[in-house]
Amino acid sequence: MTVHERDVVIVGGGPAGLAAAHRLAAAGLSVTVVDEQAELGGQYFRRPAPEVARVWGDHRPEGGRLVGAVRAAGVECRTGHLVWGVGDDGRTLLVCDPAERPVRLRGRYLIIATGAHERPFPFPGWQLPGVTTPGFAQHLAAADHTPIGERVVLAGSGPFLLPVACSLLDLGVTVAGIAEAGRPYRPSTRALGTVRHPARLRELAGYAARLARARVPLWQNTVVVRADGGDRITSVTLAAATAPTRPVRTVQVDALCVGYGFRPQTDLARMLGCAVRTDPATGDATPELDDSGRSSRDDVYVIGEAAGIGGAPVAEVRGLAAALDILGREGHEPRAGEVRGLAAAGRRLAHFKRLTDALYPAPAELARLLPSALPDAATLCRCEAVSAGEVRGIARTAGRDVNAAKAWTRAGMGPCQGRECGFAVTAVTRVSPADGLPAGVFPSRLPVRPVPVATLLEMAGEGEPA
Amino acid sequence: MRAKAVIGTPPRTVTIHVDGRPVSVVEGVSLAAALVGDRTWTFRYNPVSEEPRGPFCGMGVCLECEVTVDGRPGVRACLTPVRPGMRVETEEERA
Repeated sequence: MTVHERDVVIVGGGPAGLAAAHRLAAAGLSVTVVDEQAELGGQYFRRPAPEVARVWGDHRPEGGRLVGAVRAAGVECRTGHLVWGVGDDGRTLLVCDPAERPVRLRGRYLIIATGAHERPFPFPGWQLPGVTTPGFAQHLAAADHTPIGERVVLAGSGPFLLPVACSLLDLGVTVAGIAEAGRPYRPSTRALGTVRHPARLRELAGYAARLARARVPLWQNTVVVRADGGDRITSVTLAAATAPTRPVRTVQVDALCVGYGFRPQTDLARMLGCAVRTDPATGDATPELDDSGRSSRDDVYVIGEAAGIGGAPVAEVRGLAAALDILGREGHEPRAGEVRGLAAAGRRLAHFKRLTDALYPAPAELARLLPSALPDAATLCRCEAVSAGEVRGIARTAGRDVNAAKAWTRAGMGPCQGRECGFAVTAVTRVSPADGLPAGVFPSRLPVRPVPVATLLEMAGEGEPA
Repeated sequence: MRAKAVIGTPPRTVTIHVDGRPVSVVEGVSLAAALVGDRTWTFRYNPVSEEPRGPFCGMGVCLECEVTVDGRPGVRACLTPVRPGMRVETEEERA
């Protein structure tokens, strides 16, 4: 089978990957972007269906302009392509095209821009149809103009809940309330620091004002403790985050969207052998990188949310930084002021990130609070239907090791590879609440996504290792 | 900004077949949106617990939205745009 050789292969066509692709192609390098979605943009710039954009408008027109510029710069855009593994040489990306045919891609440089996924935390009934992540509600609203329900509660933690609530209001959905685990929304000395970042602050304040006008209740220090329903959720029960065993209210809903922020998606970087370390504040494995995003492997860069959660503007800065580093190694001169401007933008955004992070409870804090509300009978791993009690039992006998819990209970062994339950398994395997988050995450496993058997057979038929 | 419906230009629709039933949906939306918009929330049953499951993450990670499309199983509805005439099968309840 042909191996497609390029100067740079970028996995992930979100804000980071697109920024890198555009800059590299503008300098004349041959660049391929691979993305499993049907169109570039990633989650943040998720492109609306053309018919949705024509009738109802584009929620992020700047994303459409960036995608257009990337295509115009001559970047090869392989959309609908799933990168599912790495070949035995440690360099060749194993890819499945939209027709399920195997494709092999190799770049002199690899840029991993695989983004993030949401951080759920289980509760009884979280596996019911109608319980989703806030991100799903946002995609349905923004890209598909489809309301997730008629009466919805949003819950979890972080600034992302606010724009999602506004998107639902725009579609005429009743937002019955927003349950935020922390207490971020009050004047405080920490909040005052964001005054130095008026544009970003204005964006958040605009959402808050819209929600206030619509009289959407904002319940702070509040978490979901159970969902009830038959083949679809009918109600959600909430409790104080600081006393999660005592429910305070039950709300009738037909959809519930819960997420506690985002986790970097680093499986491909780990499979490529990039060194990672576990961030004690979040329990997430993040790659060890220099300022340009270069990993412990000289030819592999990790950028965007995969390098650590920072938001779309940070992702674009990281994409450009990696592009400039590669161009420098290839003997290209940066444009006047480009490097200094990028460094300044990076510092400004990092400052804003520290301030907003301080407003919301850290994942380590959530891992301490939330397990006490999770009864033994609740489903912890939704793929393998493993209960919280089974994982706790193993933690008591085998110690606080997520991979022992996985081996003994199958938690995290299903098709999502622990992306949905991994944080909760980590939190639940702590023996005492005083313990920190145990080091160690589920290892990255080939294939990173299920691959059609036909693709594997076709590869095997060509005498290549599958 | 969103939600500025242009009066007089209704969206073009296409017809797909969900478990043999014709469903009219806006052209090009995701299959997950088409099903949710049609009030179909049970996409499949968990093979271990046999409980009903529906779309969860909406970005291809959780694999809860897998359905059969034109005879091909394991298609993630959240990443698949609808095509005219597409035949979609959700999973039958295990008796």
